[in-house]
Amino acid sequence: MATNSAARSGHPGSFRPWEARLPLLLTYVFLVIGAVLMLMPFAWMVSTSVKPDHEIFGDSIRWLPSQLDLQNYSDAFKQTNMPRLYLNTTVVTAVSVASQVLLGSMAGYAFARLHFRGKTLIFFALLTTMMVPFEVLIIPVFLLIKFFPLAGGNNLLGQGGTGLINTLGGIMFPGFVSVFGVFLFRQFYLSFPKEIEEAAIVDGCSRIGVYWRILIPNSKPVMGTMALFAFLWSWNDFLWPLVVVKEDSLKTIQLGLSVFDQEQGTAWAELMAASVMAVLPVIILYIFLQRFLVSGGLTSGLKG
Amino acid sequence: MNPALSKSPYPRGEAPDWRARLYRFYNSQAFVAFLFLLVPVLLLTALKIWPVFYNLYLSFTRYELFEPPRFVGLKNYTYVFNNSVTRQSIINTLLFTIEAVPIGTALALTIAKLLDQSIRGRVFLRTLYYLPVVSSVVVSAMIWRWIYSPQHGLLNYFLGLVGIPPQNWLNDPNLALISLVIVTIWGSIGSNMVIFLAGLQDIPRDVIEAARVDGANPLQNFLFITVPLMRPVILFVVVTFTISIFRNFGLIFMLTQGGPFNRTNTMVWEVYQNVFGYLRLGRGAAISVVMLLIVLLLTLISFRVLRERQGP
Repeated sequence: MATNSAARSGHPGSFRPWEARLPLLLTYVFLVIGAVLMLMPFAWMVSTSVKPDHEIFGDSIRWLPSQLDLQNYSDAFKQTNMPRLYLNTTVVTAVSVASQVLLGSMAGYAFARLHFRGKTLIFFALLTTMMVPFEVLIIPVFLLIKFFPLAGGNNLLGQGGTGLINTLGGIMFPGFVSVFGVFLFRQFYLSFPKEIEEAAIVDGCSRIGVYWRILIPNSKPVMGTMALFAFLWSWNDFLWPLVVVKEDSLKTIQLGLSVFDQEQGTAWAELMAASVMAVLPVIILYIFLQRFLVSGGLTSGLKG
Repeated sequence: MNPALSKSPYPRGEAPDWRARLYRFYNSQAFVAFLFLLVPVLLLTALKIWPVFYNLYLSFTRYELFEPPRFVGLKNYTYVFNNSVTRQSIINTLLFTIEAVPIGTALALTIAKLLDQSIRGRVFLRTLYYLPVVSSVVVSAMIWRWIYSPQHGLLNYFLGLVGIPPQNWLNDPNLALISLVIVTIWGSIGSNMVIFLAGLQDIPRDVIEAARVDGANPLQNFLFITVPLMRPVILFVVVTFTISIFRNFGLIFMLTQGGPFNRTNTMVWEVYQNVFGYLRLGRGAAISVVMLLIVLLLTLISFRVLRERQGP
């Protein structure tokens, strides 16, 4: 019974007959084939990005390049104006991350700890908006940005100019706050021990002081989760920047890449090099911070 | 402005009346809540609540941006359901869902189940399976366009090895939608897997163990114990996955632009076309409203199922 159990549950190192190992073996075969299929597109992207053209368009497939050719990277770097794309995306992403963390934690604290009139109503109104995907609201939000008062030559009524169209502010605007973040922080603060805050209040700390000196310094895990999600949404966002920005100097990296794609047609080596440059910051961050993603995993289905 | 009483130069209770009153106001729950919620609630009202109603209003108007919206009643809706292109876009969205969701969900559940045991390298494998989720849709689309390339693409090369002639994946009316479905499944297995892994944590181990002792093999255990117990989670994934397909704009923009012959023209693409292609904001709004109604219906179903799962 005991040996049988050990064999089935697959603890490595224990001796058992090969029939008992079969399920584990099949598990590995399936999982590894699956993982190879998941990874192959990325590997192929990297491999293509460092090949000279004659190896890309040769008669047979070359898995690995004969030598590391970084020419494609410098070509793509120049043709896409990569520093500008990185700068714009970094500015938009940084503002979005900071704002979503700050506003999310403030609102989350208010909903988790304070009692005020209309709390339930406001809370459920916000909860409902979580069901509405952004894509469905693209027309009114676009009009809001276009007719934004006192911006881009608009008057107080939003007429006469272009509003926040063709500005980095226009790209950022919908990303200042996420309902997901408000709920993430609320859940975290609800589970935070109340006694610590009460002790601080007895010692004469104000409510804002409690938030600033006790809750904020203790919210690092939830802030990490929020920051990582906000980073991913902002860095990878495509539809909204596409709609808001036409000028090349204001494009984000995803937008620059998509335009580059249409212009270059079949310059696959440069396209793959540009793709690697666009996805690299995300992959690096993901590898180091993935524990934050997994902890927010279940709720990620409700993002937006 | 931090007149904390402990720091006040006055002994407790002897502070001047106005200062104590000011502090009491400053420290009241209502004031702090107002201060903390003002900006988030204003922003969310402008970005999430007002647009729902304004969108509904626009769907009953003719609006081409240069003149104010003009009320036209249900004209946009009759257009949406009678015009062959928009009707096709609704059918395509449903076809996309039917082709992607069952296979994608089954694969994600299978992988989650296999990863939910103490095997060597499970964290590493989980990282790999999740990787496509963090990649942007533009980058993913770019890679797959290269893989689907008719002349030098990887996929045609593999098919050539088993004697299948090269296909024009993204430009063949019969293959374009399937090509998008493959990319969608590849890109979503990771996020669905994570939800399933969380759900599997809640299945009591002794039930599985009891079935095993009674002679069920791993496959039977999976099909007749795990799957029924996971039914609510499966439904949740099916619904969120479906919604993500409704929202899937980037892939279509990057890979097919709705073509060939409108075969990959989905509702979200049709909204974009009507608004930013033809400047028909009213029609776009009407399609958005139809989309929103379908999404709301699906979300309500998933919430109901989730509540059932938590039990009375």
